[in-house]
Amino acid sequence: MASTRVNHRVGRILAMAGKEVLHIRRDIRTLYLALAMPVVMLVLFGFGISFDVDHLELAVVDQDRTDLSRELVRQVTASQEFVVVQDGTSPDEAVGALRKGTAMSVLLIKKGFAEDVKRGGAQVQLLVDGADGNSATQALAKAQALVEMAGRKLGGPVRVAAPPLEARVRTLFNPDARSAMFLVPGLAAYLLAIVAVLITALTVAREWERGSMEQLFATPVGRLEIVVGKLLPYLGIGLLQVLLVLTVGAWVFDVPVRGSLVALSLGSVLFLVGMLGQGLLISVVTRNQVVATQVATMTSVLPSMLLSGFIFPIENLPTPLKLISTLIPARYYVATLRGVLLRGNGLDVLWPQLVALALFAALMLVVATRRFQRRLD
Amino acid sequence: MTPAIEVQHLTRRFGSFTAVDDVSFEVGTGEIFGYLGANGAGKSTTIRMLCGLLKPTGGGARVAGFDVDKEPERVKAGIGYMSQKFSLYLDLSVRANLEFFASAYGAYGRELETRIGEMVERMQLGAVQDEVTGALPGGLQQRVALASAVLHRPRIVFLDEPTAGVDPIQRRSFWELIRYLASRGTTVFVTTHYMDEAENCARIGIMVDGKLVALDTPAGLKRTHAPGRVLEVRGPRLAPALDSLRGMAGVLDVSRFGSGATVRVDPERLPAEALADWLRARGVDPLELEDSAPTLDDVFLALTARAQRGDD
Repeated sequence: MASTRVNHRVGRILAMAGKEVLHIRRDIRTLYLALAMPVVMLVLFGFGISFDVDHLELAVVDQDRTDLSRELVRQVTASQEFVVVQDGTSPDEAVGALRKGTAMSVLLIKKGFAEDVKRGGAQVQLLVDGADGNSATQALAKAQALVEMAGRKLGGPVRVAAPPLEARVRTLFNPDARSAMFLVPGLAAYLLAIVAVLITALTVAREWERGSMEQLFATPVGRLEIVVGKLLPYLGIGLLQVLLVLTVGAWVFDVPVRGSLVALSLGSVLFLVGMLGQGLLISVVTRNQVVATQVATMTSVLPSMLLSGFIFPIENLPTPLKLISTLIPARYYVATLRGVLLRGNGLDVLWPQLVALALFAALMLVVATRRFQRRLD
Repeated sequence: MTPAIEVQHLTRRFGSFTAVDDVSFEVGTGEIFGYLGANGAGKSTTIRMLCGLLKPTGGGARVAGFDVDKEPERVKAGIGYMSQKFSLYLDLSVRANLEFFASAYGAYGRELETRIGEMVERMQLGAVQDEVTGALPGGLQQRVALASAVLHRPRIVFLDEPTAGVDPIQRRSFWELIRYLASRGTTVFVTTHYMDEAENCARIGIMVDGKLVALDTPAGLKRTHAPGRVLEVRGPRLAPALDSLRGMAGVLDVSRFGSGATVRVDPERLPAEALADWLRARGVDPLELEDSAPTLDDVFLALTARAQRGDD
């Protein structure tokens, strides 16, 4: 008896899932879009919208005018990371260039530089346009490294007088500071959030809108069966997307997978279930496709991009946003992915992230199924 | 033998609005029961409560032997429901819809194939079963919807305005299917606002503003609520004559249609000859006068008018 009941239940879940697959097949372009979008976005972000800085415009103010100072400039610009756009100008002119935006940094070599080098300790000054924080930090780091290297070659230590630079974890595990490395995990989380929450919210809300939910409620299909059957195909699509993003990341951008695959899979499934649950909750509450889209965008897509560490490092967020970010599951998923992909972490390190994801998934499913009553009132 | 549907003092309020107000009736097994009323009279709300989809605020009902409030899931397993707004997934093929609803009710494998095969033949859907449902004309869509509501052979089927927007020929063939279901012992509870097709029902309940104001066979309803003799009149200068005819002793009802009018009279007080003389005297000459029968329209109009006057 119990086994026939289970059989019936499984049969009804499969009926729901099969119907959903038919809907997806009827609208095959959406599926292509869902699968192509991650690849396109990854390539765009990876190549086009690179956060790497290169060919930084440099204005040089050389008040020393010695062989040594000229050699320093040559050394700093040799790698093409800095390009001299102005030379032999006064400090005022250089700052003017910074203001106008024709230069993004200024290297100031004071008179007496060569003698200081010989005496064993010289300083140069670097001014950086801080309007673009990301580029400024990278420019500072690069200039510091280049100047110190040049200093060793010139025979005496040279330091850059600039605000102290924080050591960043990112430099440790992503030594070339390549954006793709950093972006792939974030992008994966972001894309999954879109698919899971948005598509779920839409498809379930559509059943409300068209009135088919009423028809479903009149059948013996239980609410958990509706939920699971409806979400299964999208869970499949979501996991396919994860694989696609990781594959493209590995092939095109050499993003490694260094850590535990178990942690990676577990994290992905937990994150997806949580997102699907959130989408379901949104649709149950709104029962309307337009409103569901807006709510899904506000509560999931945007936070997954802005508050997950995908684009803005969480440490740099103001405290209130930092607190809010602890409620965003994408944050834990991004951390899991970065841990597995870049740092080679396993379950031993990542378990707190996975626990957070599991808690969120459980909470969403419980609240959504409770709100999702098989009645019309 | 217990009735298929038993309704007692069923009430549903939405805030301060009472959609269904203290309704009681019974429907026998294998009966075609019609539920008539204007839009917003409480027909759909009643059906939703009987299908276990909406909780009653007062009273109760037993459907297929189960309490709709306490055992809605057992009610659902024993009934078929075709809702007014939606019955099918329009982006899927006819067959995909049938397969989905059959498996939603727990049929699978060979049994699923047999049932769908039977139903496709019975409803004459063989030629269109691979078509996308949304591309079919309304009449065919409704037939597919009926097929998916009865695939699991329910003992009772609820049809909420199944023929709304369907042309008369398709409506007639749809009703043949309903009669076929009833002949096999299925109880059919159907709402409509087409009075002509309500004649197909064994008994009819009439809803006005949430209240069940009448319940009887079509003939019984006409006897009680549209008594007298109905005469169809045609002729020149009819309009002014009709105006003064209203309120005359023995005239029960006057309603216009196209070029003529029907006049319902109490033959004791106003014989047909007297009416003819009276009309000719007012210039309706040549006058055509024909005997006609009262329709459910007459019944419905009389009941609605009475409810509007506020006397019950």
